[in-house]
Amino acid sequence: MLRRVPFPVLLAMLVATPVLFGVAYSALAVLGIAGAGASAVADSDRLFSVLTDRTTWRATGWSLYVAFSSTAIAATAAGAVALLFPTHKRSDRFARSLATLPLPVPHLVAAATALFVLSQSGLLARVLHALGLIDAPANMPALVYDAGGIALILALAWKELPFLAVVAIALRAGIARDLEDAARTLGASPRTVARTVTWPLLWRGLFPAVIATFVFAFGSFESAVLLAPIDPAALPVLTMERFADPLLARRGEAYGLALIALGVAAVAVAAHEVTRARWGSLVR
Amino acid sequence: MMPPALVPQSRVLTSPWRAMAIAALAISTVLPFVILLLQSFGESWRWPDVLPSGLTGSAWRAVAGGSLGRAAVNSAALGVATAVAAVCVALPVGRSLAQLQGAWRHVAAALVFLPVAAPPIALGAGLQIVTLWLGIASTSVGVWFSHTVPAIGYVSLLFLGVFTSRGTEAEEAARTLGASTWHTWTMVVIPSLRAPITEALAIAFLISWTQVALTLVVGGGALRTLPLEVLTLVRAGQDRPAAVGALLLIVPAIAALAALRLGARRTDALPT
Amino acid sequence: MIGCAHRRVLVRALRSVVLALGVTVFVACAGETSQQSAQLEVAALVALPWDSVEARARGTTVTWRKWRGDPAINAYVDGWLAPRLRSLYDITLEAVEGQGPEIVNQLVLEREAGRGRGTASLVWINGETFSNLRAESLLAGPWAGVLPNAAFVDSASPIISRDFEQDPSGFESPWGSVQFALIYDTVRTPKPPRSFDELSAWIRANPGRFTHDQGFSGITFLKMLMYARGGGVNAFANGFTEERYAAGQQVVFAWLDSTSSSFWRNGSTYPPDVAAMHRLFANAEIDFSMSNNQHDVVNKVRQGVLPPTARALVLRDGTIANSHYVGIPFNAPNPAGAMVVANLLLSPEAQFEKQKPSVWADGTVLNVRIVPEPWRARFANAEADPQAIPRDTLSRYAVPEVSPRYHERLNADWRDWARAATSSREP
Repeated sequence: MLRRVPFPVLLAMLVATPVLFGVAYSALAVLGIAGAGASAVADSDRLFSVLTDRTTWRATGWSLYVAFSSTAIAATAAGAVALLFPTHKRSDRFARSLATLPLPVPHLVAAATALFVLSQSGLLARVLHALGLIDAPANMPALVYDAGGIALILALAWKELPFLAVVAIALRAGIARDLEDAARTLGASPRTVARTVTWPLLWRGLFPAVIATFVFAFGSFESAVLLAPIDPAALPVLTMERFADPLLARRGEAYGLALIALGVAAVAVAAHEVTRARWGSLVR
Repeated sequence: MMPPALVPQSRVLTSPWRAMAIAALAISTVLPFVILLLQSFGESWRWPDVLPSGLTGSAWRAVAGGSLGRAAVNSAALGVATAVAAVCVALPVGRSLAQLQGAWRHVAAALVFLPVAAPPIALGAGLQIVTLWLGIASTSVGVWFSHTVPAIGYVSLLFLGVFTSRGTEAEEAARTLGASTWHTWTMVVIPSLRAPITEALAIAFLISWTQVALTLVVGGGALRTLPLEVLTLVRAGQDRPAAVGALLLIVPAIAALAALRLGARRTDALPT
Repeated sequence: MIGCAHRRVLVRALRSVVLALGVTVFVACAGETSQQSAQLEVAALVALPWDSVEARARGTTVTWRKWRGDPAINAYVDGWLAPRLRSLYDITLEAVEGQGPEIVNQLVLEREAGRGRGTASLVWINGETFSNLRAESLLAGPWAGVLPNAAFVDSASPIISRDFEQDPSGFESPWGSVQFALIYDTVRTPKPPRSFDELSAWIRANPGRFTHDQGFSGITFLKMLMYARGGGVNAFANGFTEERYAAGQQVVFAWLDSTSSSFWRNGSTYPPDVAAMHRLFANAEIDFSMSNNQHDVVNKVRQGVLPPTARALVLRDGTIANSHYVGIPFNAPNPAGAMVVANLLLSPEAQFEKQKPSVWADGTVLNVRIVPEPWRARFANAEADPQAIPRDTLSRYAVPEVSPRYHERLNADWRDWARAATSSREP
């Protein structure tokens, strides 16, 4: 029975139902006919102010920058772990374990630890102070609450590395062996094989996981609220700020910001599906 | 039994570089745990002290019977319930999606990915509406439901990948040989999927175990989970109990994952 | 065959999307279904003798949506109030998370979902939250006047009888009162500034050592600056007007424009919340922190968050004092239980316990001269913590809140100012 009815898309839609409700509700809220401060008549005031406020686009751009940087660092490190430590030798296994160990660490803990280590009065600054390199917290370069988002990027990258490493190691172990052998039989040096065969294959296999971590990093509220500056604001923080704005009329804007974030996620997912369609035959 | 062809691969970088890479990994992985451990015992650890000025076990002693202990139990139960439910739903969903071809397949995959990718405020609003309708908002069941939705999304994608690469030949063979749907599932599909199911259970458990936003939005804190307690402590600036909570969050989960890996090594599920 | 199957999938998919959207639209538009049952129940309850209310509340559960960010407050609620409610009335108290704006959003969504009773019977509110809840008709009442312990409330105090100038009108019952204070370290700053003028001079003389947070405390600090430099609280009292706000905000931003470059990080960013500011203060990045509760410093020193030499400080220009209240939502599942809880919150015993520096150090809303013995004597002899500001000093410099509109507008405008100011400073 189940086999004859082509359920799949319907099933997928069922899984996505809460999000579809959320999206529909967000659309109604940004038009001012749902949510706090709503009225019976739709108007485009909130939507207009979200779309025309440069804070919105600064925040979107900054969150993209943070998510991109942290994911790039984590993906590079994960790829390096998979490439450098592929064997069953004890040192390789040890290195792989180290890279994947922090998998269950929540964003919140990673960010709180980053705050403790990297703030101007943090542990790193105290070590530099003990070494006589700085004499006051203000001499320490600002890594938290800074427009560069250094601590935030590092915390997110640290948090993302184990997951990407797990995927990269699995890929390294599974897919590329016969192609590598072929390349080597044709006379390529190990370095050339790594550069032209293993890494591209690894990267393509890693891409879905990279997209997923990019989306997580982009939407991570707990890390940003502990480490991001007021300006440029992180998009999830700005969203929650609007969501809790004492001015009820402004709260609908939060849903506009959430839709922008969802749009970014959708573009990432679409990019992923498109590339997979193009690469698919090579990867699996 | 290592393929000899793999050996030169590990020499992409020479050994001092490898040693440095391992050292960097070790520092980046171990140092945060050392810091959390020190914080969990440390008394008045402020600028310019590189080490805490005093040590006390008070925060650890308060765990048993305290809010952290209760929250840890809640989180563990919730994580297990989420993992089981998510895998039960996602396995057939993923298998079903794997049979799609062409554009529909991408649409379906994107739909399933939505609960994972959606910003918590949009997902939260949708989940709140659904849980209010079901009459389970601000209850433990509602929190479980809210964790299960993104977990199903993620794990469905995992099974989609598994079934895509694996095909359904074995099942078809079983059915050709006269097995019922039930027997095909219980005797062919599930046993052959032990490794990905283990992996899926672990991932779904972790999605619940580290969840903050949805627990708050849908449960309103009706169910106090461990990450919620840690969030409260971090926001209140209480570093010592916060560090204890953080370690309670991390260490058992790492131990559980390690055990899973040891178990899965025989079946090649998770890379070690 | 496959094409046909796909078409069927498409049709089904479209149908479910349309259904989903349709239901959501229906929810949004038809959300005003009659959920007046809690309101009716409250109206019936206030007509009953109090022991009947207690009888109805016996054996029930009360879910209380409140800010859960302070472990000391949580310990008082979960460890002192909850056991008493259980032993006195067989009431189970469940305190769940949710502060002001979240309470409003939650209740709006519950009304829109339109499914009978809501999830919380009691909410912890004040100021702009109370204003928002009243504007959206999300509170049941009036009921606060019928609580037996309401007779002891210090109704002569404008800080208790008016919530940001609003008349509670029986829709909320007072619970506690607090007063804003700066926090300084007696070792680092032996002679702290005592007025806004002295503070401005101090900030300029010690660049990088002062800031305020982005949250409620920071905006309250700016509002006090608005009072102090804009003609006193009376220049803004008795309702909100655009002209008076325009004048007030000009004063605030003129001060910030001239002073904020001497703030921590040159005023390019601000700590996200009080906890972050306390952390900066404890680690000597800045020399002042602040809190909406004058006794917070005592609490935080005991918890080890702040150094033992931290003390509170009120400015001679006046510091804002306000009260916080509890309300019953329009869709409360258990209004009778909520009223019994609110009454216990107002009991001399509960108020005395809450006021202890070792518990929460939250100010009482009772008139301690009219409470029955032995509580009158206990309140009179209550040991003041040596770290705390003497009560006389506090009341001398206390200034009331003004209309919540000022807070709402200043909050929005300050954020715009902070973001414009920092981005224009970039190279």
